[in-house]
Amino acid sequence: MHKTYAVVGSSPTKIDGIEKVTGSATYGADYNWPGTLYGRIKRSPYAHAQVVSIDTTKALVLDGVNAVLTFKDVPRAKHAGLPAPRAGSLAVDQNVLTDKARFVGDGIAAVAAVSEEIAEVALDLIEIEYELLPLVLDITEATKPGAPHIHGTEKNEVMPPVVVERGDVAAEFAKADHIVEGTYTTGRPIHCYMEPNVCVCKFDQNGKLTIWSSTQTPFSVRQSISEVLSIPLHKIQVIVEHMGGGFGAKQDLYQHEYVCVLLARKTGRPVKMEYSRKETFLATRTRHPVTVRLKHGLKKDGTLTAREGTYISDSGGYGSHGPGVTAVGTINLTSLYQCSENWKLEGRSVYTNAPVAGAYRGFGAVQGFFALDVQMDEMAEVVGMDPVAFRLKNAVGEGDPSPSGHPLHGYSLAKCLQRGAEEMNWAAKWQQPEVKSGFVRTGLGVGTEMHSSGAYPDIKEISGAILKMNEDGSVNLLTGVADLGTGALTAMAQIAAEELGIYFEDIIVIAGDTDVAPYDIGAYASRTTHIGGKAVQKAATKLKQKLLTLAAERLETPISDLDIHNGKIIEQGKPALSVQDLVKGDGGTPASAIISEVTHESKVAYSFAAHFAEVEVDTETGQIEVKQVVAVHEVGKIINQKGVEGQIEGGIQQGLGHSITEDLILDPETGQPLNPSFVDYKMPLSMDMPSIKTIILEEEPDPGGPFGAKGVGEDPIIAIGPAIANAVSNAIGVRIRDLPITPERVLEAMEEKRLADL
Amino acid sequence: MKRLVTFTVNGEMQKVTVEPYRSLLDVLRNEVGLTGTKKGCDVGDCSACTVILNGQPVNSCLVLGVEADGMVIETIEGLAQKMEDGYALHPLQKNFLKYGAAQCGFCTPGMIMAAKALLDGNPHPTEAEVRFAIAGNICRCTGFAKIVEAILRTNVDG
Repeated sequence: MHKTYAVVGSSPTKIDGIEKVTGSATYGADYNWPGTLYGRIKRSPYAHAQVVSIDTTKALVLDGVNAVLTFKDVPRAKHAGLPAPRAGSLAVDQNVLTDKARFVGDGIAAVAAVSEEIAEVALDLIEIEYELLPLVLDITEATKPGAPHIHGTEKNEVMPPVVVERGDVAAEFAKADHIVEGTYTTGRPIHCYMEPNVCVCKFDQNGKLTIWSSTQTPFSVRQSISEVLSIPLHKIQVIVEHMGGGFGAKQDLYQHEYVCVLLARKTGRPVKMEYSRKETFLATRTRHPVTVRLKHGLKKDGTLTAREGTYISDSGGYGSHGPGVTAVGTINLTSLYQCSENWKLEGRSVYTNAPVAGAYRGFGAVQGFFALDVQMDEMAEVVGMDPVAFRLKNAVGEGDPSPSGHPLHGYSLAKCLQRGAEEMNWAAKWQQPEVKSGFVRTGLGVGTEMHSSGAYPDIKEISGAILKMNEDGSVNLLTGVADLGTGALTAMAQIAAEELGIYFEDIIVIAGDTDVAPYDIGAYASRTTHIGGKAVQKAATKLKQKLLTLAAERLETPISDLDIHNGKIIEQGKPALSVQDLVKGDGGTPASAIISEVTHESKVAYSFAAHFAEVEVDTETGQIEVKQVVAVHEVGKIINQKGVEGQIEGGIQQGLGHSITEDLILDPETGQPLNPSFVDYKMPLSMDMPSIKTIILEEEPDPGGPFGAKGVGEDPIIAIGPAIANAVSNAIGVRIRDLPITPERVLEAMEEKRLADL
Repeated sequence: MKRLVTFTVNGEMQKVTVEPYRSLLDVLRNEVGLTGTKKGCDVGDCSACTVILNGQPVNSCLVLGVEADGMVIETIEGLAQKMEDGYALHPLQKNFLKYGAAQCGFCTPGMIMAAKALLDGNPHPTEAEVRFAIAGNICRCTGFAKIVEAILRTNVDG
């Protein structure tokens, strides 16, 4: 049975589309208040150093400088960059401004001046004497006795290890037909959203603070500012009209948000702080580089019987999301491919003096599933099975445990694999590497993943929605959901329109203002459609009920005879009355009294994906070209077709970059990032993208989601990495276990093989 | 010491006084007050700040305001035609909407201007020509698929 939807599943024009294509969309840096001062942060040039003395006298007397702050002038209590309820998955170790630099770029002081140029000059006039401390950039070195103390935690670990165990791994290994083990590493990619971080702060005459910030989590900004700077919560309003990408980095507050508020308060003027592009490389977040050691036991017939692994993440100078990322990455390894419920997994996060790692689209799953999916290929080789057939044999399905512990429904992973293999013509095209020859060799590879729609159970999942009827039959939808460019607000409007039975164009979305929107924990963890959207759907159901009750009275008809379609009340299948005529208020209840609100708490659902990649590897230069990707995603229900495609295509772009070219390279002596710019940090652009065929399946709608919809934002960036690595291995006949797969690594791998074969 | 600079922006003459070290990007965003052109990196690496200067697409962060004296500048704000009640969008803008080519929208003004510069000189480009014309425009959201589609389907004659 195929249900027809009025607007869900199609691609109506984005509600904020016209602003974006005409240049009238207001982003943080576009706000210009009279009297605005410009703030800049003085950053440590050293990766590990103690401030011995600091002298701001010269900076203070510079013409045009209104305020100077050092670590002595700001609250000293440590915080997590996010408010207290999130603290379970974060480390509470950050400083508003610090007297001990723990990575190159750590903020020591700040100024506010009448122009950015004067602010820069003032920064140079702040005299700081540093005592250089020994630094450490390697996670193994950092845990050894005698390693430099970064935060004074035992073995420089961010938190106690995450340990998950079930069954009897040792016994299973003892009787396994085969044991396969390996070590896998991932690099240090960085988000590179197009809009540099920015924050504008302004106090009014009542002491009320308004913050315009490029953030994914306006309510978190409000709460953290309140906690850390001791400003009453209700005196803070956070507004986000438009923001230019985040990918996880902008769910945190950085030093500039706290400093901006303090400078605005101290000077009594609005203050704007814009990160330079270089600062976004140095002083925001990176993905955690992770070393995964993985070992499987398996039977001759390819059944996996046990899995053992360690997942160790490099946190950089501060902990940030280290606990959460490590937990997710480690615990994810209990699923995706069954292992007879015998597992022993341990996750750790280690401080080093590298730039701070944090939340990045995929949140630990990218690294863990990379290791698992590459080892799946290695195991297929050992038992002589085709990589897709081997995966189908072990793929999780109905009843198998998901990472959250809940049993899964359906066979989405298998369906994604089957559909993708068919589209790619895998059976005919996949060949053993041994038969390949020539300087340029083609390879085919598959990568898979699963991802939750929401961060339950690590975080209490909650979203709200308020629908307010207008006298003309249109509806204001107040949502706390944040739209980083994903089209989330458009999807919310589609959901409301579909559920209510009124036109999409008659839904007016009000979002991005903490004074007005219902509380929402923010846009991350692929939650906005599944959870934010469900709140909207529930609120719409309630509102519809109110309208039908009113209509039943007006028409003197039982409510069971009524429905709403295309903005009209339908009585026994025939239009009887327009919604506008129903609510316009002469003789009946005034429209403004028709409001519904819902707070929705969620459990969790899982989306799946299988990516098939075709690559060409030049065996003389080591360069890789990804020619084609077939991306199959199971998402429950598409709300906005182009929105889902956009997430897949964009996720593949980032994942492709992480797999072959993107890495923030650090000087091993000083910890200084060597490529903190777009010209030296290589991202795939228009000339580098493969052709992408997206296939979206709706096999397992989840009743917890609006019309069954699950998330999709993070899935594509996870599946593409192992697909490419496995394709490269297939092309050159050498196993690739480390990202990014640079030309040097390809050539080294081939040389090692050549020597081993001698 | 500020200098008087006169140029035409989107058909209107603008006279502004600027420091000689100010970029055209900053002058457009601050003195002229057109914030549609975005600052992605300020060093010429990302092309978010693309405007059309005397018919050529340029990174406005790499042009000094004073260099643009006497020149003709087109920015994103000049594409849509103002009508009595609303705007008539340029075909490129219509297609960016239709094909879902804008996600966060930050690269979009620069991307559209780069595309316009291409189509002004070559109304029927091949896919390779489109990808080359926007090769310097960084987008981190879309993977470029829908951007390329939107530009390819824009027929400036029709």
